[in-house]
Amino acid sequence: MAKTTEVSDKIIQALADYLKRDVASIQPTHHLRDDLGLDSMAVIEMLYRIEEVFNLQIPDQDLVGLTTVGQVIAYVQDRVAPAPALAKKPAAKRSTKTKKA
Amino acid sequence: MSARVVITGLGVVSPIGIGVPQFWKAALEGRSGISAISAFDPFPLEGYRSRVAGRILEFSPEQHLPAGQGDRVDRYAQFALVAAKEALADADFRIEREEPHRVGVIVGAGMGGMVMGEREITQLYEQKRPHRVHPNFIPVITLNSASGIVAMAYGAKGPNLTISTACSSSAHALGQAMHAIRAGTADAVIVVGADASITPLVFAGFCSLRALSTKYNDAPERASRPFDRGRDGFVMGEGAGALILESLSHAKKRNARMYAEVAGYAATSEAYHMVIPREDGEEVATTMRLALKDAGVTPAQVDYINAHATSTTVGDAVEVKAIRLLFKSRADKLAVSATKSLVGHTLGAAGSLAGIVSALTLTSGQIHPTLNLDDPDPACALAGLSAQPQARKTKVALINAFGFGSNNAAVVLKTISA
Repeated sequence: MAKTTEVSDKIIQALADYLKRDVASIQPTHHLRDDLGLDSMAVIEMLYRIEEVFNLQIPDQDLVGLTTVGQVIAYVQDRVAPAPALAKKPAAKRSTKTKKA
Repeated sequence: MSARVVITGLGVVSPIGIGVPQFWKAALEGRSGISAISAFDPFPLEGYRSRVAGRILEFSPEQHLPAGQGDRVDRYAQFALVAAKEALADADFRIEREEPHRVGVIVGAGMGGMVMGEREITQLYEQKRPHRVHPNFIPVITLNSASGIVAMAYGAKGPNLTISTACSSSAHALGQAMHAIRAGTADAVIVVGADASITPLVFAGFCSLRALSTKYNDAPERASRPFDRGRDGFVMGEGAGALILESLSHAKKRNARMYAEVAGYAATSEAYHMVIPREDGEEVATTMRLALKDAGVTPAQVDYINAHATSTTVGDAVEVKAIRLLFKSRADKLAVSATKSLVGHTLGAAGSLAGIVSALTLTSGQIHPTLNLDDPDPACALAGLSAQPQARKTKVALINAFGFGSNNAAVVLKTISA
């Protein structure tokens, strides 16, 4: 699905910009800390960039599930274009929904 | 007996040069680091009464620091990192040979991380998007960000402190580092003074305070003119100075080259006014007297004064009045120079730059000129002030530094053998 690729590309590009490394060197399987060397502060900075790119607010309780590049891509994909089955309650567990930013 | 304290390394980031050799050469040549402010986009320049400053026009942290090291800190802390790196190399001070908990960092900073500070505040108030405040805003604007990053970069695990007393910040940093070494709580301290706040809001604030020079917007190099009759306020500068202080025994043990001894220090408050000095000069004289007493030298032994001399009408006159009060007939035998005539008023960096200049003056016998002393003001005339460089043997130097908040500092340096 084109949308997924677009999200994925944007996230990997944002990561590459942040880490100052080649886009091709970043894989969805990469662990943000163990493979890409991001400490907890760096993860927050990186997510801050991704929030801007996708006009999102990521609530604190969602951070725990975001430890790999692939998880970040899937999460953002879900937030920006929820899968049809989840469309009616995409943010049910989230107290902070994205509003007019 | 408490430890004697010596200076073994120097580092500079300044509007007249990055690196001590470049800085000192430019200082002795009397080169001005003051230039016109071309733009504070998107603010109209005509809204600023003063349009000159001592800016560092070509500074990229990547050129001086390992990749990424300066990424998470503001400009003033990047300056601090670069100056400290040079000072450590100059001292051949290697942390891996030291007990790291015996090596401290004391930074003097007046304004701190105002580049990011202003940007984030502006964006928040304009856009009203609290969730878009940068995650690094707090760590960057917290005033000890420079002392923190310097310790992290160079592995110094001893006392890590920041002193913020406006324009006297890094003179106090020097003094407090001396105290820490004297007291035996550190073998060595990396002392840094740094500020980089020529930013739209801070600059406007100093304009509104009517503290800055406004008469020389078309002749920037003439704007900073301490002790001259035509002076009309200070010129903001930016930069950093770093000095490695260590105990004499520690320096001797590692066979370090020594520039000078940090022999005495005094800190006082005028308890008088937030921004105006006491006009009789008594408090400044007392501060100098206490520092000399601490150093065990008499006024008659002082050869050189690095004056605070910001180029304000009242401040310069008060300082000279105080010098005359304390030194009496010796006042006209002293060599005096005003470093702010070269680089402007670098706020938190000023005391450290004064320390560096004084250390170089003691070792070289060269006194840098005081620029723009075209028409010496009789209210603050001293025979030892000169628009030309002077060659004079000096053994004892006195550094003056005064800050908003009614704050005074004086530091005494001596040649090692004096």
